[in-house]
Amino acid sequence: MRHRIQNVAIVFACIFLVLAAQEARVQIVQRQAILDRPGDPRRAQSAQGRGTLLDATGVPLARSAGARRVYSAGPALAQLVGYSSPIYGESGLEAALDSVLAPRSQDEATDLASLFGRPEGKPQSRSGEVVLTLRRDIAEVVDQALPSQVHGAALVLDPRTGAILAAVNRPTFDPNKLVAEWGKLHNRADAPLLDRSLDGLYPPGSTFKMVTASAAIDSGTFTVDNTFHDPGYYNIGGFTLHNAEHEATGTQTLTGAFALSSNVDFAQIGVAMGVDTFYDYLSRFQVGENAGLAVSVAKDNLPPAPTVSDSELAQMAFGQGSLAVTPLRMALVGATIANHGVMMRPMLVKEIREPGRPALRTVPVVWARPISGQTADTMRDLMIAVVRYRTGTAVRLPNVTVAGKTGTATHPGGAPDAWFVCFAPAEAPRLVVAVVIEDAGYGGAVSAPIARAILAASLSLYQ
Amino acid sequence: MASESGALIDARRAPRFPYPVLVVVVIALVACGLLLPLDGAFPWWLLALLGVGFIAWNVSVREPMSYDSALIPVVAALCFIGILTVSRLDLALGVRQGAFMLVGLAIVIAGQRFFLQYRRLEKVTYSWVLLSLLLFVLLALFGTEVNGARLWFRFGSFTVQPVEAIKLFMVFFMAAYLSRYGAALAVLPARAVGKTLRLLWPLLLVWGMAIASLGLQRDFGMAGLFLGIFLAMLYAASKRLDLVIVSALIFVFGAWLLAQSFPYVGARISVWLDPWSDPLGRGYQAEQSYFSMAAGGLFGTGYHLGHPGFIPEAATDYPFAAIAEEFGLVGGLAVVALYGALVIRGLRIAFFAADTFSSLLAVGFAATLGIQVAIIVGGVVGLFPLTGITLPFISYGGSSIVANLIMLNLLWLFSRGEQAQNSADANPLSPPEPIGGLPQTG
Repeated sequence: MRHRIQNVAIVFACIFLVLAAQEARVQIVQRQAILDRPGDPRRAQSAQGRGTLLDATGVPLARSAGARRVYSAGPALAQLVGYSSPIYGESGLEAALDSVLAPRSQDEATDLASLFGRPEGKPQSRSGEVVLTLRRDIAEVVDQALPSQVHGAALVLDPRTGAILAAVNRPTFDPNKLVAEWGKLHNRADAPLLDRSLDGLYPPGSTFKMVTASAAIDSGTFTVDNTFHDPGYYNIGGFTLHNAEHEATGTQTLTGAFALSSNVDFAQIGVAMGVDTFYDYLSRFQVGENAGLAVSVAKDNLPPAPTVSDSELAQMAFGQGSLAVTPLRMALVGATIANHGVMMRPMLVKEIREPGRPALRTVPVVWARPISGQTADTMRDLMIAVVRYRTGTAVRLPNVTVAGKTGTATHPGGAPDAWFVCFAPAEAPRLVVAVVIEDAGYGGAVSAPIARAILAASLSLYQ
Repeated sequence: MASESGALIDARRAPRFPYPVLVVVVIALVACGLLLPLDGAFPWWLLALLGVGFIAWNVSVREPMSYDSALIPVVAALCFIGILTVSRLDLALGVRQGAFMLVGLAIVIAGQRFFLQYRRLEKVTYSWVLLSLLLFVLLALFGTEVNGARLWFRFGSFTVQPVEAIKLFMVFFMAAYLSRYGAALAVLPARAVGKTLRLLWPLLLVWGMAIASLGLQRDFGMAGLFLGIFLAMLYAASKRLDLVIVSALIFVFGAWLLAQSFPYVGARISVWLDPWSDPLGRGYQAEQSYFSMAAGGLFGTGYHLGHPGFIPEAATDYPFAAIAEEFGLVGGLAVVALYGALVIRGLRIAFFAADTFSSLLAVGFAATLGIQVAIIVGGVVGLFPLTGITLPFISYGGSSIVANLIMLNLLWLFSRGEQAQNSADANPLSPPEPIGGLPQTG
């Protein structure tokens, strides 16, 4: 019988080893997969002691007040700052920076003292905080400049550093009232939760002529004094292209073609450059490349070069065809011209402060140098001319020179998307503004006044 | 006095006081004390008191330390962890848990003269069956139904779970029966089915009824536990692995039949197979326990710093997940190791026990503890479907605490027989019969 008792002991030893192994599997191997699942009410605790998101001047954009999360910019930065909700999870920068913001009293609680007795008072906030490049004051200016009923987005960035200062969308929502509004928000066809400024794709229309003209000048294909003839139509590859409303701009220099935004002239410029040169400059402008932002950014839609026919190329040269880009992309193109041909990598995070660690500061980084400084200055003059004399006059400001480009992007879904991209002051640009309003008509008529309102109020705020 | 019963332990040398249980209770009360000062001040004076009490105990005990020395500290540690865990989930329950330990202590103190004569209980084999049957009948008639299972008697504000007592009765019955027939069973060849059945039918009948009635009460964890005890004791007594395998297969088939016919069982099994399939319904408890364990990770969140309260019924069903969350994998494995030590220690007592009846009782009790732990911990970590079995000494539950303390006390008394057999001046009144009643064969 003793022998059998030993066997029973061996069986129990094996059973207990299996128990231990399975427990280790749950708590170590499967741990992350379990924690990533929805439905963990521990996340409901996250607002308590969750770290603060600050704007560049130290104004809290998202902070915890007890168990509530307060968003001071409200609807203005709803999509980009995002939300952190025990019920609906996290989005935007709240989600992207969760590892810094989440209170980590749990992780640090293994010290012996905490094994005895309850921790005194409320658990200490051991979460980090993040300083963003965003500016609440500028975001509010943009929010006021954008009409409330439109669909679209406006993005403001600093061309010298790539710092994104504001990204405001329409339609939007109030993250402070998420629980009350969620049902509507989630089901609406016009996607108020989408960050159109970074994650929306639009045909860029004539704003893309900034890229085409830059390429033509920088590659030496044309100078600003080359003349082009625009009879109002252009036959290529069996297609006939027109200007808007079948207008004919006649014989113009490149400056005039840009200022009047002649599609026929730019189609000819694109075709004259050829696919290789055009695509070379698209990749120099990092079109289709990941900007490396913390939050989700849509990938620009660009047909592969070998598939591009002459008629497709002609349309892409004035921002149509199958080209689709984000408002961020067009702001970056404007910023490159403003910054003498140097494209700074866009950034949202300025500084990360975590307890027990030195603060991490983000340094502005050059992303690419798509065009020479000389080309950029030439382009700037072209864009000044647009504002001073032609399609972009609605953005003119007293005492400040503004450089800009309109866009009226046609698409099969409805009225054209109205674009405007501009920077100011043109001599030493501090701000780049990109505005797109969906299905709204002419960029110069719809979006340029919005950009003007943004510039007028922001330039004094941002030195 | 000793001459009147050869099987009795010498009463003069027997302890007058159940020290192990005293230690358990003192440590448990210290645990309560640790929890009470909510302002955060650590009650060092309680530790000092514990030290003084420990020294006083060692000085005052004149008995030679002839009893198992590992059993008590291990159970004390488990009770300590139990009070910590239950209090953490619900302070009121933790205080009641301490009170249940006091009740257990009182029963053991008052009954120690009775427990010391446990060998007399061998003679009353079928009384245990009658007692158990009576309890089952009373349950069916007057029991209170909770969560679809009729397992409780309600007396005013508190309830008693008689199955915890039945558990002990059945171990007694089985030990008494097998100490008589085990040797005969052992020598039968596997093909002698008729003879085997002739020897075994009362046992099979009684256990079959017990397991079936538990199954009908939907207490499948307890049914599995009874089967495990049955198999362990049958194997230890009879060496008949073939019987063990056949019984296990019958149980698995029975469980499968039940799962087909009772939606309640099928639901538990489907939650076990995929705990995430019905997160807001039947799978909620299991899902929350997984979140709890995952939150704990390797070292845990720290006592009182996790959120095991999100698990419904954590104090009774999932105290192990609560431990795993706040003390981490390290703490969970420590608890499993404590139970492992307890089981091995119990089997060691069985190994050295002076007679077959004590030895089989020790096997039964050790198996009871071990299988309970395997079923409930295995249920929490996802090895088995979850059942309502308690985690011994830790889960909240008065009946379970009292029954387990009585079991522990008996195990501890059996270890005395080890002394009698191993020492040269062995009690001449307990005859050194060969273990198992037969010459050892292997």
